[in-house]
Amino acid sequence: MGKQMTEMLKGTLEGIVLAILAVRSAYGYEITAWLRDQGFADIAEGTVYALLVRIEQRGFVDVEKVPSEKGPPRKVYSLNTQGRDHLEEFWRTWSFLSERLEQLHRGGN
Amino acid sequence: MAEESGEDKNRFLKYLEVVTGSFDDKRRYRHYKARIAKLPDDYRTAFEAMERYLMFFGRADGPGAMEMYEDLADLAEQSAADRTPIRDIFGDDPIEFVETFIQNYPIGRWMGRERNRFTNAVARAAGEEEGTSR
Repeated sequence: MGKQMTEMLKGTLEGIVLAILAVRSAYGYEITAWLRDQGFADIAEGTVYALLVRIEQRGFVDVEKVPSEKGPPRKVYSLNTQGRDHLEEFWRTWSFLSERLEQLHRGGN
Repeated sequence: MAEESGEDKNRFLKYLEVVTGSFDDKRRYRHYKARIAKLPDDYRTAFEAMERYLMFFGRADGPGAMEMYEDLADLAEQSAADRTPIRDIFGDDPIEFVETFIQNYPIGRWMGRERNRFTNAVARAAGEEEGTSR
């Protein structure tokens, strides 16, 4: 995955994380694992963690602390109503962007 | 009488904290340092390097700094417990991760202040009402 991909993902990764959480609640590492499976191999776990901290601060997720066998308790993130609203807004912006880019790609305007 | 001296003591501590900084923050910072010290060597080295980089942006006891260090320690302990490879945590470009991380906290005070100053200067020059500084 190249530099260009990293640059393009910068503005969309938060939306991607919200979209993953819209399907089901997850731990941080489950989100990173899913991204890796989908071919986003270069995304740092730390970056995903930082985004989870952010969406928690902004009130988009409900967090439940679950005790774990090794290490500190793990946080399970689930999307709440505010998060769903924000995700909808993300998809609207995304649709706009991708339609326009597709038009450009096809050479029309 | 006892209550009164208690109040005096609290007031004294309050004044003292103005000079020394928050005792609570100092305690939390020491606790953070202790958590990092307990990490396996390779994790400790990486996270200490990150702390050093973060210090560049502002005082370790500035507003929001303790939350930042505690979030960092959570990540460090979790990663060490899972034995997540260092490179997987920090990525190919560690700066990318740190930049995403630091945006969550008001530690970059001087950066934020300068951004506001610039934003407001443009607003004034454009003949608009000055935005509320955040």
